[in-house]
Amino acid sequence: MAPSHFQPRKHPQLVALMQRILERMQSDLLDAVGLAIIVYDKRNDERPSVLAAQGVGAELVEAQLAGIGGPVPDAIAHQVPVLSLDLWTDDRWPELTLAAMRDRSPQHQSSWEQVHGAAAVPGVWADEATVVVCCTLSQPASAATVASLFNYEQLVSAALITTAAENATAIEDIITVLQSRGAIEQAKGALMGLVRCDAEHAWSMLRRASQEFNVKLRDLAVALVEHISGAPAEQPDTGTPITPDNRTREAAGLMWAALSEAPLPQ
Amino acid sequence: MTNSQFRLSAAEAELPPVVTASGDIDLANVNEFSDVLNGAAADSDAITVDLSDVSYCDSAAVRALFAVAATTKLGLIVPTTGPITTLLSISGLDRVATVATRD
Repeated sequence: MAPSHFQPRKHPQLVALMQRILERMQSDLLDAVGLAIIVYDKRNDERPSVLAAQGVGAELVEAQLAGIGGPVPDAIAHQVPVLSLDLWTDDRWPELTLAAMRDRSPQHQSSWEQVHGAAAVPGVWADEATVVVCCTLSQPASAATVASLFNYEQLVSAALITTAAENATAIEDIITVLQSRGAIEQAKGALMGLVRCDAEHAWSMLRRASQEFNVKLRDLAVALVEHISGAPAEQPDTGTPITPDNRTREAAGLMWAALSEAPLPQ
Repeated sequence: MTNSQFRLSAAEAELPPVVTASGDIDLANVNEFSDVLNGAAADSDAITVDLSDVSYCDSAAVRALFAVAATTKLGLIVPTTGPITTLLSISGLDRVATVATRD
């Protein structure tokens, strides 16, 4: 066994990525009052801790881990997704109440009063190393909340795995994927409309064109969207926007022209 | 072949289709379980999953059930006691699915 194990919190870039993922979660889960990503590595002699948080996520998780109990410690202990319809009245955690949280962090009183549901989804990213992605909502949580956390847990676990493998460029790649996802979806949508095909076909056309013209797929997607709309592609405010070079723009123009003239597939 | 381990019975009268599972559900066969659940949910806005003959299931099965419950009204039939019942209450799946017991 290696003398010292990978410790996520010592990698500021990784923590920044986790923060970005939480921002994206916040836009998916509009009712979220708090979000957090918790890591727990049994091999390092330390307790579970919050790696990144939004809203009152950190305070709520720290209270749960301090012995009050809640979905997060249960998700860690039993390695199952945990859902609560109403956190303060849930009979599984009698000590986790509105009054208890008000006493602990009175400065967040108004947030505590909004809290209803919560969900926590655990994942394993290394032998004996667990990550939990959790949210607290101003609405009761539903199975759809848990299903949405599954997607983020996979993203978070993948980021931890690749970073733990000391592949520093992987973080850059994941940030770029997040950055370009909107444009790729838009480009796919435009192709689906033009050629009347499904999403998978549109994706394979994009991929093929990016190989033929030898340009990056994400750049091509942005160039394509800008070519069609004559306006900048939709990109998140955070991060470095993708700016396709002239060669890529030319490729996008050629691709669009060729497809516009081609007969529709039967 | 484990075809008989997850059996789908078509909807009868007003009742939703029933997926009957037996044996162990774990990482080794959870994809198969998910496929049967999704197949049942594809044609119906409600399904019933009978787990009363399941000897063991772990978090993989709980994940599959949460995922199907996200899009479909889920009914579960479980034994009165045992590991499955415990897992349902720890996870809170019993709060978003309708649970009936069978001894």
